[in-house]
Amino acid sequence: MSSVQTSHQAVDVQGLWKIFNEGSNNEVTALSDINLSVKPGEFISLIGPSGCGKSTLLRVIGDLTGATRGEVFIAGETAPVAREKQLYGIAFQQAALFDWRTVRRNVELPLELQGLGKKERRERALELLELVQLSDFAEHRPWELSGGMQQRVAIARSLAVDPPLLLMDEPFGALDEMTRERMQNELLRICQETGKTIIFVTHSIPEAVYLSDRVIVMSPRPGRITHTVPIELGERNEDTRETDTFYAGVTAVREALRGRSASASPPRIEEL
Amino acid sequence: MSTQTAAQSRRTGRFSGIWPPILIAVLFLAAWQIFVVARDIQPYLLPAPSLIVTNFFTDLSLMWAAAFYTGTTAFLGLVLGTVLGLVMALLASRFIVVNHLVTPLAAGLAAVPIIALTPILNNMFNITSRTPRVLVTMIIVLFPMFVNVTRGLLQVKPVQLELMRSMNAHPRTTLKVLRIPNAIPFFFTGLKVAAPLAVIAALVAEYFGGPQEGLGSRIASAAANTAYGRAWAYVVASIITGLIFYLVVVAVEKWTTPWTGRTRST
Repeated sequence: MSSVQTSHQAVDVQGLWKIFNEGSNNEVTALSDINLSVKPGEFISLIGPSGCGKSTLLRVIGDLTGATRGEVFIAGETAPVAREKQLYGIAFQQAALFDWRTVRRNVELPLELQGLGKKERRERALELLELVQLSDFAEHRPWELSGGMQQRVAIARSLAVDPPLLLMDEPFGALDEMTRERMQNELLRICQETGKTIIFVTHSIPEAVYLSDRVIVMSPRPGRITHTVPIELGERNEDTRETDTFYAGVTAVREALRGRSASASPPRIEEL
Repeated sequence: MSTQTAAQSRRTGRFSGIWPPILIAVLFLAAWQIFVVARDIQPYLLPAPSLIVTNFFTDLSLMWAAAFYTGTTAFLGLVLGTVLGLVMALLASRFIVVNHLVTPLAAGLAAVPIIALTPILNNMFNITSRTPRVLVTMIIVLFPMFVNVTRGLLQVKPVQLELMRSMNAHPRTTLKVLRIPNAIPFFFTGLKVAAPLAVIAALVAEYFGGPQEGLGSRIASAAANTAYGRAWAYVVASIITGLIFYLVVVAVEKWTTPWTGRTRST
């Protein structure tokens, strides 16, 4: 998109290492030398087998855990400052809603923590619930909603403070296939309407291909980026999942995931 | 149509839930009565239900007074113990970071024979007053409240903590917004144990001397006077008092925390 006008990348990860228990016997290198730039408005997916560090990478970007070495910038700010300034919203595989709050008050939570007034909070929450098409459920309790609906509430909550960046950690991982595809379309619509930058962790190849502008393929032991697969599907619609371009994308990501020859300079898959 | 069927089945469901225990209770009492009469069992061994019921109603006004006295002791102890338990839980949750440390602590505390402290407390405080009994009740109540509330404050889902961190929440905010609401169902679990326990503690504390107005004193004196029917009638009154305490807690819980007992959202 228009990365020329903005002086900063939406996300900039430089020489990032994350080592658990460094120096001890059970030292684990979760991330090794990660370099990643995300343009504003870009949708990227992190994909890879379990233990490849994709969730860890997301958490380091969100400053939920610190980096061992290297640097992370969100819109030009370091990760801790970005967290303080609420420059990102986050959604997890678990909706993590608070049962004691109504749906509306769950969405209001980040605004409440920012000290926004009751009336403004309410208006904003209702606006967001309309965006995720849950207006009728504003005063319901989370446990009265289905899994997909709960996840939509969580997405609305992650958008509450209107952050430029959304971090999503397998948000549709616990949903059935039909709900999942519907949620993917919802998410793309929300992206279009809000122009957010998104980093999306998944281990579903079709999901990554369908949603992303770019799929980042990761590999475990040590966790690292092995391939970057650009996806150019254009406007997504009902038929997109049946196009040759889509299948080609799926094949490219699958092959990248299989590629055992992890050379020092990741081979760049040709544009589709 | 289908909703009606659902409502009907819910109604029959509710009744079928109530009737079996009542039926069993009636059968049990009938069998008891028949057994005592048929075998000519002496009241000091086992009084007949009819004798207990008769005594219950002849002594009703005294029984009210006794239940009120013991109930007041139990209530005061319950309130004090709950408040103290909450304060201790808040402090503990600040210092005990790991939840599994609470369990051995709870087990250790449960082994303390608190009721046995009564004679000591009777000497420390004025034995003719209610104070030592309230204090014993308070200590008894303290433990289940402390243990349960501490658990509730600590047993927060990691993902919820990450969410709070992503929103740059101060630990105090996390306590207010997440930990305390999370502990409320645990609080009621503790209170449901503590409330009937408070009645038992208040009652047993009366066995160690002091004013003779309560249920415990009445049971002891009736038994000492070989009035077994009366002693048992007071036992029944004690059970009812404990049950009332329990049911009040259940009612308050239903009313204040509609989200407990539901399938929790993930």
